[in-house]
Amino acid sequence: MADQPEPPRVKNTAHLQDQGRKILAAFYAALRALKLYPLENSAVQQALAELHTLVEGLVQEEGAAELRVVGDFFFLNETRLRLDLSNYSTFGSFARSLTDHGLGAVEVLPGIDLAEWAPFLSLLVRAPDESDPYPAFMENMAGAPVLHIQVLPETEVLEPEMEEEEALHAAKRTYAQSVQVAKDALTDVRVGRAVNVRKVKRAVQGIVDQVLSNEPSMLTMTTLRDYDEYTFTHCVNVCIFSVIIGQRLGMPRILLYELGLGGLFHDLGKSRIDHGIVNKPGALSDTEWFELQQHPTEGLLALFGLHGLHDVPYRQMLIAYEHHMKVDLTGYPKNRRDRKPTLFSRIVSVADAFDAGTSIRSYQYTPHPPDAVLKEMRDNPKRGFDPVLVKALITATGVYPVGTLVILDTLEMAVVSAVNEDPDKLHLPMVKVISDPLGVPLPRPKSVDLSAEDPSTGELVHKIIKTTDPERYGVKVSDYLI
Amino acid sequence: MIDSPADPQDRPLDVSLNWDDLSSLPTEEVKELFVSLSKALRAQQLYDANNPVYQRFFSQFGEALSSLWKQVDRLQIQVEEDRFTWMGEEVYRQGARSDSLAFLLFKDGIREFTIHQGLEEHELAAFLQVLNRARDLRPEGDDLLTVLWETDLQYFTYTYVDLLAEGVDLPSVGEGFKGGFEKILEQELGDRPGEEEGEEAGGEEGGPAPGQVSAEDFNPTLYSLDPSERARIEVEIREELDRDLRTGVLSALFDRVEEPRFPERQTEILGLFGTLLPNFLSRGALSSAGAILEEVSRLLAAEGALQPEQRAKAEEILDEVSGTDALQELVQAIQDGTISPQPAELASFLRFLRSRALEPLLRASEETGDRRIKTIIQEAVRVIAQRYREAVIDCIRSSDPIVAAGACALAGAIQLAEAGPAVADLLGHDSPKVRMAAVEAAVALKASTAVGALQEALSDSDREVRIAAARGLGTLRFAPSAPYFREIIQSRAIRQADVSEQIAMFESFGLLRDVEGVPILDELLNGRGFLGRKESGDIRACAALGLGKMGTPEAVEALEKAKDETDPVVKTAVNRALRGGEG
Repeated sequence: MADQPEPPRVKNTAHLQDQGRKILAAFYAALRALKLYPLENSAVQQALAELHTLVEGLVQEEGAAELRVVGDFFFLNETRLRLDLSNYSTFGSFARSLTDHGLGAVEVLPGIDLAEWAPFLSLLVRAPDESDPYPAFMENMAGAPVLHIQVLPETEVLEPEMEEEEALHAAKRTYAQSVQVAKDALTDVRVGRAVNVRKVKRAVQGIVDQVLSNEPSMLTMTTLRDYDEYTFTHCVNVCIFSVIIGQRLGMPRILLYELGLGGLFHDLGKSRIDHGIVNKPGALSDTEWFELQQHPTEGLLALFGLHGLHDVPYRQMLIAYEHHMKVDLTGYPKNRRDRKPTLFSRIVSVADAFDAGTSIRSYQYTPHPPDAVLKEMRDNPKRGFDPVLVKALITATGVYPVGTLVILDTLEMAVVSAVNEDPDKLHLPMVKVISDPLGVPLPRPKSVDLSAEDPSTGELVHKIIKTTDPERYGVKVSDYLI
Repeated sequence: MIDSPADPQDRPLDVSLNWDDLSSLPTEEVKELFVSLSKALRAQQLYDANNPVYQRFFSQFGEALSSLWKQVDRLQIQVEEDRFTWMGEEVYRQGARSDSLAFLLFKDGIREFTIHQGLEEHELAAFLQVLNRARDLRPEGDDLLTVLWETDLQYFTYTYVDLLAEGVDLPSVGEGFKGGFEKILEQELGDRPGEEEGEEAGGEEGGPAPGQVSAEDFNPTLYSLDPSERARIEVEIREELDRDLRTGVLSALFDRVEEPRFPERQTEILGLFGTLLPNFLSRGALSSAGAILEEVSRLLAAEGALQPEQRAKAEEILDEVSGTDALQELVQAIQDGTISPQPAELASFLRFLRSRALEPLLRASEETGDRRIKTIIQEAVRVIAQRYREAVIDCIRSSDPIVAAGACALAGAIQLAEAGPAVADLLGHDSPKVRMAAVEAAVALKASTAVGALQEALSDSDREVRIAAARGLGTLRFAPSAPYFREIIQSRAIRQADVSEQIAMFESFGLLRDVEGVPILDELLNGRGFLGRKESGDIRACAALGLGKMGTPEAVEALEKAKDETDPVVKTAVNRALRGGEG
């Protein structure tokens, strides 16, 4: 067994997550104390001592401690820290104290002394130079007795690049495994076989881990649209989008798992509906439509047959049952008793609609552009989605989600490749330009940041003028992203 | 001392150690640590957390870790099939797979783990629990990795190979598009408003063309969560954690089972109810169990809701849950504390049971020592009995004396007059307890068949039964029984009975106001027998009490004659009787 070649190893980062959150909280506490009290105050001294102990411990363990702020995210030594509703404002405040001075990263080196923290943090507490904050900060820092702390300007700080390839590979592995698990599970239910719950759990846990550590790569995976595998990829995509929304809402990890499991199984009931109806090309008759509308109920019932979980999967049953119900309960199935769809069901409903609307499937030959789907979901109350949850999805996908084919004002065509992490610039994503203004493909796609401005005019260099249908051009957007 | 490698993962951790001299590594301490871990795991399997033996091994493992941190900063262990290694040295080996910690980790894919400082302080118990739980996992359920993921230990990290992912192909991508769509692009750009009077511009409804960007897309307020929205979501997440999911699912099932157009689905849902009921009962979820019974009862009552097959299934559910086995289990679980339902919950469940439930519930109500539970069961029994009156009579005829006695009491409590003959039959039962219950029921029922039978009970072999029967007949002033009393108070047997029985007989007789009884009582109180001897003081006193209960002028006159009595017992009784028999 030991001599056989093994799949790549996976590492968990729980310990660093914990350390990182504590250090960020300690930074925040020390900065706050310095703002409120004089240096000699015991509260200040205590806060500095706590910060020093934590950081010094990490430096000893890891060799150095580097905190980076990239857009909305924090990285501690290459690991992205998870934020939730209990700490986002603390972290946000710390981030602002760096970015106000034009800083993007703080690195603490071995040998750090307690006495170095007060002068360094005092520089952060000072009002930044409004015209050119970073040079002003560096000038002040040069004169301060701080030897073991280094900073980097905001403009030079990027997400850890070494992770990008690895992250994409890990995301691919998780995605492929999950699609296979979804396929097996749905097939098992169809033929009345026991579902391998261990595989299902592992797949969903993997998706949660990937979303928490590597959300952009998982978002990218959802652009893999395979018509033949739609039923299965759709389940996985709904799982991914659901977990992403849940994470944006600050759900703890274990609830993200519950949500993801519900997302993966939301359409399980279709395994109990006539295959011919589920996969019928073209419009459904009234009878067929009525039959298809039974899948939420069938999903609930099918989940009773799922053994091997700790408990009866009630939450997932409700998700399967309620995901077409709409917030005003005008969807299906109709209720005879009082019911308010769970938050989880409403999240999966949003994820389901977004993925379905943007996919080719048996009765939708032409998928809608992702931005149009989002807009419709957000603006049309008759669609019955919780607008707050749609917003939460948009904060993750941006206004033009990854995979959207766009035409720029230069008449070049481009594929949206990454979301702008700045919440005020969700409409200005990163794109990969794939053709010149005449429609001739580029030999190598060119990455462009649409938030880039012309320094002379302050105007954006590129603008999106139109989104369009990749099918119309025979473009498979995932070719440029995965 | 050697330089630390660039990759922190590969860096030896304690700079104080002399890494050139590997003999200085605390290998022995690490070996001891795993011995200590094995003992702690074993102790956790065998003992409760508050057991001193468990606590000793638990502490020893924690102390072994603490001691190790004086020499190393963390412990990074390589996992092989049958052993652990640290810095290339073997620190644990166990050949037998069933006991091997190494195999336990290895088989689920863990190839390396790291224990960080703090485990001993924050997560020791959780860590041991995970390992022990992993030993007991069933093949079709979790494995160590899923359990570790859920436990989310912060001070125990690991790398693993995902054995379940083997053989899965990674998604592949193409080379991108080949072009050749210049005309399509040209046509599409022609859709742009303002540039050309395109037929699609503005669309049919005058809105923006498909795909056209709009200024409102760039308004962050349309897609950013504001503080009030965040606050709402926070509240909702908390509510979700507390949500009664089971009720939500049941409510869905209730909605759908009411649809007769899906008979097969109805059968499936009814089958689920049958499966869920014992689960709910075993967990003490009696409200949910009660809700199912209520729904099934409602379905059975609704016309056209069920076809014959489904109706039979529904009947079966109610019958099964009302059966002796099911209810004995429930009562047992309540009595031994396995479940602790609230009274209202228990009542909400019991009230939907069927007639079959009466017998086991009656037995339970008689046998339970918990007064609270007894009261609840009795109340439920009363509700069921009101619905199934015939069943009460069946229970009275039960061969089980406990049930028969309980049913008698129940018949009296709900005034089940038609139970009179059955109650009367029980007055001849072998068990004095049953006869006693029958007497009390007969009195409560006041039905002539039952009360008439009470007269026979005046000569019952059991003293308590005789007294109860006498008291009952007296209370009911059942005049036809007077001859029986006359015979008793003049019998030799009453003179040998104890005072309580004597008083009961005489007072009850007095309550009948039997005209022919006055001379008899007068004679017993005041008369003299052979050789001028009077009756015993006790009998004379009882006769006085009997006259007092009669209260007629003739009775008072008889009492007046004994006014100057010198026997203190008789005198007291006479005075009491003249005052109206109080006391």
